[in-house]
Amino acid sequence: MTRRLRAPVIAAVLVLLGAGTNFAAPAPFPQGAPAPAVSANEILNMALDAPRLIDYEGTKVITVLRNGRPETITVAESHKRPNLLRLEYLSPEDVAGRLIVDNGATAWHYEPRLNMAFEGPTLQGGLLRGDRTLLRRNYTLVLLGSDEVIGRQAYVIALEPKDVGVYRALWVDRATGMVLRSEERDPFRGIVLSTYFSRISFSLNLPEAYFQFRMPAGARVLSMRTEGEWLSPASLERQVRFPVLIPPVLPEGYTFRGGAVSRFGSLTSVNLRYSDGGNLISFFEARAGSIGWPAFGHPIQVGTRTGRFIDLGYLRVLIWEQGGLRVTAVGTVPTETLVAVAGQIAAGHEQALVRDVSDRVEADPAAVRQLREQGLTFPEIALTFALRQQLGADLPTAVRFVRGAVTLPELAKKLGIQPEALRWQVRAATERASTLSPVRPPSATPPAPVTAPGVPH
Amino acid sequence: MTLNHHNASRLFSAYLDGELSAPESQAVQEHLMDCVSCREAYEGIRSTKLLLRELPVAEPPGEFWAAVRTPQHTASQAGAGWASPPGGRWRGRRLSFLRRPAWALAAALVILAIAVAPLIKGTADRLHATEIGVDLYVREHALGMGAEPLTDRAYLGLVAGDADLVLAGETPRAGGGHP
Repeated sequence: MTRRLRAPVIAAVLVLLGAGTNFAAPAPFPQGAPAPAVSANEILNMALDAPRLIDYEGTKVITVLRNGRPETITVAESHKRPNLLRLEYLSPEDVAGRLIVDNGATAWHYEPRLNMAFEGPTLQGGLLRGDRTLLRRNYTLVLLGSDEVIGRQAYVIALEPKDVGVYRALWVDRATGMVLRSEERDPFRGIVLSTYFSRISFSLNLPEAYFQFRMPAGARVLSMRTEGEWLSPASLERQVRFPVLIPPVLPEGYTFRGGAVSRFGSLTSVNLRYSDGGNLISFFEARAGSIGWPAFGHPIQVGTRTGRFIDLGYLRVLIWEQGGLRVTAVGTVPTETLVAVAGQIAAGHEQALVRDVSDRVEADPAAVRQLREQGLTFPEIALTFALRQQLGADLPTAVRFVRGAVTLPELAKKLGIQPEALRWQVRAATERASTLSPVRPPSATPPAPVTAPGVPH
Repeated sequence: MTLNHHNASRLFSAYLDGELSAPESQAVQEHLMDCVSCREAYEGIRSTKLLLRELPVAEPPGEFWAAVRTPQHTASQAGAGWASPPGGRWRGRRLSFLRRPAWALAAALVILAIAVAPLIKGTADRLHATEIGVDLYVREHALGMGAEPLTDRAYLGLVAGDADLVLAGETPRAGGGHP
């Protein structure tokens, strides 16, 4: 084992041991026993609906892989429905006292040791969203069994990515739907994030005032807001006046979820967000001269260019330059996947790919270019045209379906087709699209799965 | 909540001013993602609002306030056929101010400082950007992760909070920061 590999492996083992000491493995439903009354799908719904139905106050323990080693953080977390949140960090010492008060629109972050307050956007953008289509489409839901967490009965469900990505296990309280414990497992490094409540109380009728931030006397206030909007790459390009690079291909299931302009001092960057419903890959683009190279990380080959890779633990950052732009990709996907995606952007074959895919799908290059300007990858464009041909649907409807803005039953209703028949047609269109796209989604073969006590499979 | 062109466009102004409820904001965001023509309209409203926000607040001349405070006086002047432009006396005063060399020099220095400040600030910002780029983007990514329904908010608070400190020029905490 090389020295470079040894540290992350040791760290992963430590995280696994740390996670494993807290809990026993969930008890699987015995063979022949009656099936539970609820499905994994219903349990996921319970978990997603819980924030709007219950108030709680508890102590949460988070263990996260950070800079090559595990870090454990304790936080007092209070929630009042539908979207009031208060977080008071208790340990380790250098984070103790940090307070975050979030009312669903604005989050206040206060650092007592500096008497400094930061005003920024909410951390709960998706808490009340009904958008579960991508999550269901890209993850297989499995009911693993039942378990006990802090004396409460919990269902254990797993969300397994259909393609490369992070595996998630959730311990969902039977009575309230609250996620009492969670684990995220990277196919290469084992558990990268685990959380559990060591204590929790429900329905306390917490006062609203508890979730209002009161500025301490003499505090220095910094507003950290950026122009976070849901803009297309074409709209972003008009705002920042430099060409916006759109990823030609992404891991299977990731789709464009909006773009924003980020301004900090003189640094203007574009942010493109791609999500598979469970995880996010962000691309930031700025003029190369407006930002320097970080002193940390290590060199890495991005196509024919040399980039820089920074492993922050849970998050990975990849930076490279092309065409006078500095591009930064941030995500939780495996390094190889991030590098493969970056390599496709760095190759800079946009025009050739537009021509190629237009020929293959027999469409006007202008139409393909228009879909690119909306953030679609080439495999998504191929699927859009294949669906249009297969179903006879109009292009905007096909785009909405590909992006997960329309579910399969909704599309079936709109087209007047039985959902099962539509499912078959979508499968056929997907198979055809895989031959039409000039670029294929990157996939990384994970090493043998890392097993640990307490981790369901 | 589903929006069409008509009712979405009526909500853009309130959306920009942060006056919509969370479900309404969400519906507007979803509609903007899908509708090109609404996105164009939205951007138009947004840039107009930005321009209006950047307009300087005009300072009325001293006589204006005097006239507002003593309406009877103004009325009597108007009645007497006061025809000279309201800024006449003020303009005269401004010119005499510039005729004094010390004041003119001070005014020139102030103008020079105003012109040079953005350049100095721009350079300082660029130097700062060299150091903060990764933290800024990690923070933005963490806030973006807030849109994923299963992301742990306490963990996001930790990541965004650590980045806030670095962006404010503080030393990264020992447990966080960079490798």
